[in-house]
Order: sequence, then structure tokens, then C-alpha cells
Amino acid sequence: MSGPRTTVTPSPPAPAPAPEPAPPSPPAPVPVGGAPARSGGRLATFVRGRWLKTVPGRIRLYAAAALAATALLLLALTMTIGMARDGVQTIGHDAGPQVVATGELFFALSDMDAQVADVLLIGRESDLGIGKDESLRLYDQRRREAGQALVDASQLAGQDADRQRTVRETMEALGRYERMVGRALVLSEQAAYAPGEPPSGVVAAYRQATDLMRMELLPRAYNLTLDSGATVRQGYEDRRQAVLSGRVWVLLAGALLAGVLLAAQISLARGFRRTVNPALALATLVTLLLAGAGVAVLTAQAGHIRTAKEDGFDSMLTLSRARAISHSAFADESRYLLDPQRADTYEQTYLDKALSVLYIDPGDGPLNLETYYRLVGQKLSSYEPGGDQVDFLGFFGDEARKAGTPQEGRPLGRTLRAYGQVLNNDRLMRERAGRGDRAGAIRLRMGRGPDGSINLFEEYDRALVAQTGAHRAEFDRSIASADDGLRGWTALPPAAALVIAVLVLAGVRPRLAEFR
Amino acid sequence: MRIPRGRVRAGAAVFTAVAAVAAAAGCGIGGGEAGSVAAKRSLVIGVKADQPGLGLRSGGAYTGFDVDVAVYIAGRLGVPRSRITFRATPSSIREKSLRDGDVDMIVATYSITAKRKTQVTFAGPYYVPHQDTLVRADDTTIRNVRDLAGKRLCEVTGSNSWRRVIEERKIAATPVRSPTYSRCMDMLAAGQIDAVSTDDLILAGFAADRPVKIINAPFTDEKYGVGLRKGDLDGCEAVNRAITQMYQSGHAATLLNKWFRRSGLKLATSVPQFEGCS
Repeated sequence: MSGPRTTVTPSPPAPAPAPEPAPPSPPAPVPVGGAPARSGGRLATFVRGRWLKTVPGRIRLYAAAALAATALLLLALTMTIGMARDGVQTIGHDAGPQVVATGELFFALSDMDAQVADVLLIGRESDLGIGKDESLRLYDQRRREAGQALVDASQLAGQDADRQRTVRETMEALGRYERMVGRALVLSEQAAYAPGEPPSGVVAAYRQATDLMRMELLPRAYNLTLDSGATVRQGYEDRRQAVLSGRVWVLLAGALLAGVLLAAQISLARGFRRTVNPALALATLVTLLLAGAGVAVLTAQAGHIRTAKEDGFDSMLTLSRARAISHSAFADESRYLLDPQRADTYEQTYLDKALSVLYIDPGDGPLNLETYYRLVGQKLSSYEPGGDQVDFLGFFGDEARKAGTPQEGRPLGRTLRAYGQVLNNDRLMRERAGRGDRAGAIRLRMGRGPDGSINLFEEYDRALVAQTGAHRAEFDRSIASADDGLRGWTALPPAAALVIAVLVLAGVRPRLAEFR
Repeated sequence: MRIPRGRVRAGAAVFTAVAAVAAAAGCGIGGGEAGSVAAKRSLVIGVKADQPGLGLRSGGAYTGFDVDVAVYIAGRLGVPRSRITFRATPSSIREKSLRDGDVDMIVATYSITAKRKTQVTFAGPYYVPHQDTLVRADDTTIRNVRDLAGKRLCEVTGSNSWRRVIEERKIAATPVRSPTYSRCMDMLAAGQIDAVSTDDLILAGFAADRPVKIINAPFTDEKYGVGLRKGDLDGCEAVNRAITQMYQSGHAATLLNKWFRRSGLKLATSVPQFEGCS
């Protein structure tokens, strides 16, 4: 804070520029603490900084600095709390739940096609499996769910033209799909064939429909969820980052204010030989409490948002993908039996889907179902929920790595056991089909008894839904904690800042009064 | 000035503490998004140099479907062709090149697998090719993969495609070794082998102007992804949007037709199912 150097005169260069401005000549010596006599001289006096050397000047400076720092602290707190609130709103109440809802689109579409495959497979024996009527009822229900999910997706897409277009194209393709399915169902009705023996016309009609589903509808539905999930992720990262850096600002502003108050305290103690100025001490205490509580609440918010996103939202999305793909794989078993000419392809897609749900490194062995059955059995029996040793990848691998404790890993453990049963039945079914026992394979696939494929798959599905439910509960819990934690933080910072400001003024006023 | 020494020291201490906190916070903030392909002014893109129709170097310039896809994606990320540098990335060095930062992005018949996903972030797939089989144009005995039983099949060193027929599907074809796929083509023409089986786009690239045909009996789904540095989720999401636009605008169909139509291959012109960025 050195005095302004006067280098106004450019020429001629003075041989020895004056290092300090010349001391102001004669005007009557300024009385200590008194205001300068002439108002024109005020600015000059201010700029010269001599008032700083006066005691009241310094007190005023401290008071001003303290008020400025209070404003800064208030600003940092208000903005950061606002960011946190925004983050909780987006992830917890707006986009997050909506994205999870659009995740149902893929599932609904994929299950529509699965129900059709079952109806076509059982032919005239309409009570096999869950039965033709129940399949068609499910088909209609999924159709409605898909329609609703598309509406949600459209709302979520907002002004995003590309995404709106994807939604539109999906609706259009769904219309075409329904037309094709209608034709296949009519042909099937007319032919009234034995289970597993559809005439080629029915198979050809179904191929058209399922290809449209697989090549156009499902990819778009999947990508829509991924894309809106990406928006949530970016929003999450931005806001969490803002909360974390805002927290640093709160800390800095708090430290600055406390520092200024402390310096004022010391200065007053020296100048007036009083040890403690109670008002300033109280202001310091309030500052420390406010900044400390602010940092604490922001830390907690960052934690809540993170838990909601990573343990709640991400896991729900991952598991809903796993569930949709598992249902689609289960339907590939029906397709495998329905369309023997394409059996190789459907076996391969089954394996691909199984691998995306639970990937196991085949080592040097060939990566086919035979290897997969064997290795899955080994890996699943050695899996310990919550343990560090997870030697499989895929959706379940991701979830297993996230589960840090046995308790967290338990729902996954149950899902994996059920999945092992489903795979075992898949093996038995293919063995029968491979032997030429198609009727036996269909009976097993459509079986609803304790060892029937449908029963085992439903058990697996229930385990998956329960696992998803655990993450939904985690999500709801952290969002509720976040909402609770923010309650009151709209009014608290300005109120506390006001208290600090009043205390600062109350602290310096009597001292300034001594100079009046 | 008459500031007491003690106060100077206290002020300095506060300042140091503040600066340390700010520096610590600064590291945390800056680290995340730096170096994402979504924010780069120029890009180094890894492509193949020896795959006709996909990525082929001739006279210093790279051409092919992968190269055109890379140019389109880069354009959508705001990087014009003049600021793209192509670099040949053979299969064996792809993960390392990304890790070391030698390339920003790889578009080089790079199949997405669960194992690779632990080292690489994959955008896309931008195309889902299928394993298919190429035979001489006058061959009528091979109509699907099962017909390869008893036939001579090209086994390219380092490639897994022949395993998918012989080991995974247990089809009793006779493997005949060859160092490269282009050598397989010569062997096929000379009657030393009966069939070549691998990704249909690779076959289509070789098939142009040769007396051969693709049998259009696909039996696997591959996923050609855009390889990015592990963890570049911003970049991955931006590339996925670019790929969506490439299909919605019809540009993907144009490129597929430009490079593969003459091979007689059935081409998919709707957007593939993305893998999801991780």
C-alpha cells in the first residue's frame, strides 16, 4: 500500500525523481481523527492514504473490509447452496427419475417381441407356457408402457432436435412393427400347427417383424436412454464440481472474514489497550460457525448427490439394462426353437447377450456357450458378495465391483445364483434340441413347474427386481437426506451475515465515537 | 508503513493457508475434463493402413470407410479435415497408443469387447458387421457356415475368425494358413482354398473387382467402436451424438454405399445399438 508515485511529468527527465510524494505543505495540521476541513481536499487526502495512518481511518478500513468479506461469504454460500439445490432437483426429482422411466422403453419393446415369439412357437396348443391369452395380454400391456415411455422420452428430449427425431422414428417403426406382427399372428391362427412346427409363411412373417425390432427399434430405444442418461451425468458432474469448488470459496471467504476480524481485534486491542472487543469476538465466532456449517453442509450435499448418482441412479440404469437384455435373451431361446434355420444366429445372439450381462474371460478356450456354461458355474460358486475378488465383467461385474460390503453384495449374490439356474436350463434345452428332441426342448422351455425354464427365469427376474429396488431405496434415501440437509439454508446465510454485519458495526462504533 | 510486524506475519499465514487450499481445489477442478476429444482443436486419429475399403494408405493418404467416418465425427466435434492427422495403428498397439496419448481416437475395425472395455472407452459402435463367408463367384456348394464342413478355410495368423467356425461352432473345415487376408484372396483365386470367413466389411473391401461373392449368411454380430482414452466420457457421449447424426442425415448410408455396394453385401443403414460410455 505504498503511496501513488507521481510520474506525471514526462519531460525533461528529472535527475533524481522524488521517491515519496512531497509532504503536503502548510495546511493546518489535520486534527487526529477529524475530517479534512475542505471537501475538495477529501479525495486528495484519501488517495494519498494518509488517513490510513490515523486510528479512526484504520478502524473504518477494517469495518469496510469486514463488511466486504461478509458480503463475499454470503455470495459464495448462496450461490453454492443454489448449485447443490439444483443438482438435487435434477438428479432426484426431474431428469433422473425420467431417465429411469425411459429405460423401460427398451424393456417394453423387447418383451413385446418376446411374447409374439412365444405365441408363434406354441401354435394351436394355446395353454402351453403362460398361454396365448396371457401372452397377448402382456403384449398389449407392454405396448401401452412403450407408448408412455416414448411420451416421457419426448418430454425429456425437450428442444434437442436429434433426440426428438429418434423418438419420432421409433414411434413410426413401432407402427410398422405392429402391422407385421398382426400379419404373423393371423397366419399362425389360420395354420393352427403343433408347437414348434410353424409353416414357413409364419416364420417369414415373424422374421420381418423381429428384424425390424432388433435392427431399428431396440437400438434407438437403447440409445435414447443412454443419451438422456448422458445429460444427467453431465449435469451431475457440473453441479457436483460447482458444489466442491464453491465449498472452497466459502472456506476462503470465511477465512478472510475471520482474518479481518482478528486483525481488527488486535489493532483495537493495541490502540485502546482493551484486551477483547466482545462484539467483534462474537462476530468472529458467528463467522466461524457459519463458514464451518456451510462447508459441512456442502460436503454432505456433494456426498448425497454422489451416492444418489452412483449407488442409486447408475445402478438402477445398469440393472434395468441387464433385465431388458436378459428378457431379450430368454426370448432368443423361443426364437431358436421357432426358426431352426436361424438357430445358429439365435444361439450366437443369446451368447452375446449373456456375455454383456455377465462376461467371463474364456482364456484360451473357444468363446462358445459350452465354455460359458462351464466357466459361469466355476466363477459363480467362487463369488463372495462384497469381496475384492471379482473375476467377471459385464453389468453384473460392474455391480459386483461397486458392492463394498457383504451386505451390499447380497442382493447381487441372489441374482447370480438365480442366473446360474437359468443358464443351466438353457444348456438342458439346447441339449434336447441338439438331440432332435424338439418337443422335449419346447416342453422344458415353456415349463412352469419347479424346474421349468419359465419358472426359473421368473425367479431370476424377481431377484433382479429386488436388487433394483434396493438401489432405488438407496437413491430415495440420499435424495431425502439431501432435501433435509438443504432445508433452512435459504434463510440462514443472509440472517447470519446480517448478524455479523451488525456485530461489526456495534464493535467499532464506540471506538469511533471516542474521536468525535 | 506502520503495520506492526506481528500482524504482517499473521496476514502472511492466512494468505498461505488460503493459497494452499485454492491450489488443492484447483487440481481437483482442472483434472477431469482436460484432454477430452470433445474439446480438442486438432485430432490425431488412428486408422488401419492395410485394409482395403476400410483404411488403406496409398501415397501418404488414407482412404476407406473408417477414414470417412473419422472425418465426419471429427467434423461434428468441430475439427475440420485440415486439422486431422491420421496415423496407422495396427491391431497390436491400439490400447497402448491410446494410453500413451499417441492418438486421440481410433477408428480402425476396432471391435468392442468386455475385456478391451477395461482399458479403453468405446463410443459407438458406428457399425455392426457380421462374420460372413466369401467364396469363388461360381461356387454353389457353400450357402451357410455349416456348409464349410470338409472345405478348406483360410486361417490368417493372429486372427480369431477361423476359430469361430472351427472351434466355437465345431464345423469340421480344414484350416489353411496364410499371413494376411489379401494373400487369402490370391489363394482363393488359385483354388488353394475354398472360403474365407471374417467380418463382412473386411470381406467386402477385398471383394471389389475380384471374381468372388459374399454368401450373405451372417452368423455373428461384431461391434466396430470408436476407441477413446479410458475415462473420456464427455468425448464418448459427443462421438455417440455424432454417430446418431451420421445415420439420421443419411450420411452413413452414403458412405456404406460408396465403399461396399459393389460387393453385393447387405448393408444396415439404421443406427446401431450403442454400447454406453464407461
